[in-house]
Amino acid sequence: MKKILIIDDEQIIRTSCERTLAPKGYAVTSAASGAEGLALLEKEPFSVVLLDFKMPDMDGMEVLKKIQASSSSAKVIIITGYSNVDTAVRALRSGAYNYIEKPFTPDKILSAVKEAIDDLEEK
Amino acid sequence: MNKIFGNPDRSLVAKLIIAIGVLMVIVSFIFWYAILQKQQQDIRSIAVKYGDSFLAFIKQSTHYSMLTLDSAKTQEAVEHLSSPDVIKEVNIYDHGGTIHFSSSEERISSTVVKTSLACTACHEDPEKSSALLNERMRWNVTKDPQGVSSLSLVSVIENEKDCYTARCHVHPQNQKIIGFIKADFSLGLLDVALHKQKEALSLYVAIFVIIVSLFVGFIIYTMITRPIRVLIAGMEKIAGGDLDHSVPITSGDEMGVLARSFNAMIKDLKEARDQREKWTQTLEEEVARKTEEIRKTHTSLVQTEKLASLGRMAAGVAHEINNPLTGVITFAHLLRDRFPDKSQEVDDLNVIIEQSERCSKIISNLLTFARATPSEKGSCDINEVLSRTVFMLKNQEKFHHIKFDVDMDEAQFIVFGDASQFQQIFLNMFINAADAMEKRGKITVATRRVKEKGKDFVEIEFSDEGCGIKEEDMSKLFEPFFTTKPIGKGTGLGLSVSHGIVKHFGGTLKVESTVGKGTSFFVRLPLSETHQ
Repeated sequence: MKKILIIDDEQIIRTSCERTLAPKGYAVTSAASGAEGLALLEKEPFSVVLLDFKMPDMDGMEVLKKIQASSSSAKVIIITGYSNVDTAVRALRSGAYNYIEKPFTPDKILSAVKEAIDDLEEK
Repeated sequence: MNKIFGNPDRSLVAKLIIAIGVLMVIVSFIFWYAILQKQQQDIRSIAVKYGDSFLAFIKQSTHYSMLTLDSAKTQEAVEHLSSPDVIKEVNIYDHGGTIHFSSSEERISSTVVKTSLACTACHEDPEKSSALLNERMRWNVTKDPQGVSSLSLVSVIENEKDCYTARCHVHPQNQKIIGFIKADFSLGLLDVALHKQKEALSLYVAIFVIIVSLFVGFIIYTMITRPIRVLIAGMEKIAGGDLDHSVPITSGDEMGVLARSFNAMIKDLKEARDQREKWTQTLEEEVARKTEEIRKTHTSLVQTEKLASLGRMAAGVAHEINNPLTGVITFAHLLRDRFPDKSQEVDDLNVIIEQSERCSKIISNLLTFARATPSEKGSCDINEVLSRTVFMLKNQEKFHHIKFDVDMDEAQFIVFGDASQFQQIFLNMFINAADAMEKRGKITVATRRVKEKGKDFVEIEFSDEGCGIKEEDMSKLFEPFFTTKPIGKGTGLGLSVSHGIVKHFGGTLKVESTVGKGTSFFVRLPLSETHQ
């Protein structure tokens, strides 16, 4: 079972992702902040990380850089508001696998996650 | 007449005519006087000649009665020969001055005074009888109290052979002069004739002076005064501002030359005035144009600022709304999956999903618009900003079926400004292009260096193969909230904000479009001077 980590300070986003992914056979773990997410990543491996870019404690870019720096091989999908495409582009250049604009539909999350896992498995 | 002569103080003609008139009167008077004098002289000498003949005739008539000492006969002849109208008096004197015969009988035997013409005609001084005059003053003219002049004429009776050989022996042979005869002729008729002639001559002179003066006046009027008046009238018109006026040239003389130079002067004046008016007009137009430009810029700036603050607020709200909206969409989907297809619940939940997605679009537009907010400025590499935008868009669903034909100049185009704002312009262009082509087709992007008014610009071209822009929409294209997109698809802010940004950085935004073929937008931004 593929393990997926959601890092978002918004409860509703975390719940939405959990409720979308869990029925499709993914093991979903949630983290309410960047620090918490990084701690979880250190403890166990995840295939995909859904990362909110705009969080109060730690900037999504910073979290991304730390994940890149760590031994984790997880694919990072950025969740962003439309107006932050510029930062999304920067994130993609910094190694993020993909990005999803808020608000998103369950299908978008599922296809993005599936794409990432397929890519991971190909390697 | 008054028109010709006018006031002597101001009229040249009047002055000239007065001068000429005075001169002619003086000259005429001199001639008139000379002629009259000469005539009088001539008449008198004729009168003297006739008088002489008359005296000779008397001498002849009385010759015989004298020789025969027939005093009565002699006296009778003298009386008969005088006539009171013309020959007033005839006297015959002896050498001593005693009257022997006279037409007036009462004067016989009286002796003449020595100062009378009878004596002074021959003698310088009658007391010295030997002192004779060289030229005898044989006649004189006197005037009686009535003003009638009369000629007195004296003729000497010389001693002849008949006299001293006559039987009477009164006169010895050695006596040279035996006496003299004096006649007084009335010159009244001649006076009258002379007077009439004087009157006629005066009349002729007056008529001559008047005619010559009028003629001279007329000549001066037609040759000088009238052309000068025409010139003056022309000058007054010109002084009044009518530069289209010209003076008719009627002669080739100095007046004609003057009129010609005058017309040439007016022509020059008119050209100068027209030129000046043209400059004034150009200046006014330029001022009006600049004023309009400033007004537009001001309006645009106010608009941009207004929209920018509105945008900042909208952006904050939009970010917060996105999260709950994600929840609504996700849970509506989850709930829908629990109901059988085509059930009423599924339809209802679809409405919730659709409407939530509509909210999402509205927010997305708001955020696009919000990006017009001013932010940090610096040197931006246009090619870099453009390729980043294209790279980002390629991953967007909207652009999945759009081919990008990118033709960027290899040179580096550095523009002073805000990269995120430039990116927003490019995004707007791409989104509009995609919408125009209904998300299918080719977008051509090109950058090139151009020169405009001596300055270097980078021109970024965005061409699509879309529906094109209608002629009537062209003028409203950059107006805020103008959109041809369906309700909910566009805010009508994209182009107006883009235009505002481009203007703000000293650039231009132009559009060329053919309905049914496509549209090209040309963004020109001034190149940073240090990087040219």
